[in-house]
Amino acid sequence: MSFTVSSEIINNVAILTLVGSLDSSSASVFQAEIQKVAGESPVEMVLKVSELTFMASAGLRMIIFAKQKLGPSVQIYLVKPQDQIIDTLQMTGFIHSVHIVDKYPV
Amino acid sequence: MATQTQTITYEASLDVLEPIRKLLTQIGQEVELSKKKTYGLCLAVDEIATNVIRHGYEEAGITDGVFDLIIKKNDNQLVVTIVDAGTPFNPLEHNLPTEQDLSIPLEERPIGGLGVMIARQSVDEFKYEFSNNKNRNIFIVRYDQTDY
Repeated sequence: MSFTVSSEIINNVAILTLVGSLDSSSASVFQAEIQKVAGESPVEMVLKVSELTFMASAGLRMIIFAKQKLGPSVQIYLVKPQDQIIDTLQMTGFIHSVHIVDKYPV
Repeated sequence: MATQTQTITYEASLDVLEPIRKLLTQIGQEVELSKKKTYGLCLAVDEIATNVIRHGYEEAGITDGVFDLIIKKNDNQLVVTIVDAGTPFNPLEHNLPTEQDLSIPLEERPIGGLGVMIARQSVDEFKYEFSNNKNRNIFIVRYDQTDY
């Protein structure tokens, strides 16, 4: 499944919806979208990932990129990640740096 | 089941990652591998294939590189091997991030170094061999009936 990402800014919150497979060939699309929303200086970033079926380390690197771009005070929420993606976040310690939630606003 | 082996040659391009995942998912279903193990295999192969394409070939200036994916199915396990002639690289000699590295806040983390760790931890066994001037990254997943 190919990868698509769309974004909107609502009340200073960047909401990105990720669908499909995020690997090293599709990460640049995600990076461009992060750069686009970063220009709006959001106070939080929400990644809707319930339909994200695969995420390699390239996706994790984009989460690091987002955190570096937006600043440490900007919290990142992942809404409804699939189990296997949670496993990867756990294995790499990312689970401690993002918020896993069932819905946003929490 | 007798051992069945198939070999497929791919161009060293990131465009092949998705077809490889599709193929491995299909084979995982054929051998009734759990969803978790199938995903782990896809992830591990994806990470190493990316390294082979990016670092083994692209960074070495090789533009027409190829690699083989050898898939062996037998009674109790699936063995997938990536064979490439790019820059020699043994992922087992790569220092894995420590517990301390993994607790560094994201904004302070170096970008990179996670792929090998993910690859090694997402399959039951990971091996590396170098022979005839080729890297052989070997991924083994065992059919585990209890792992659903």
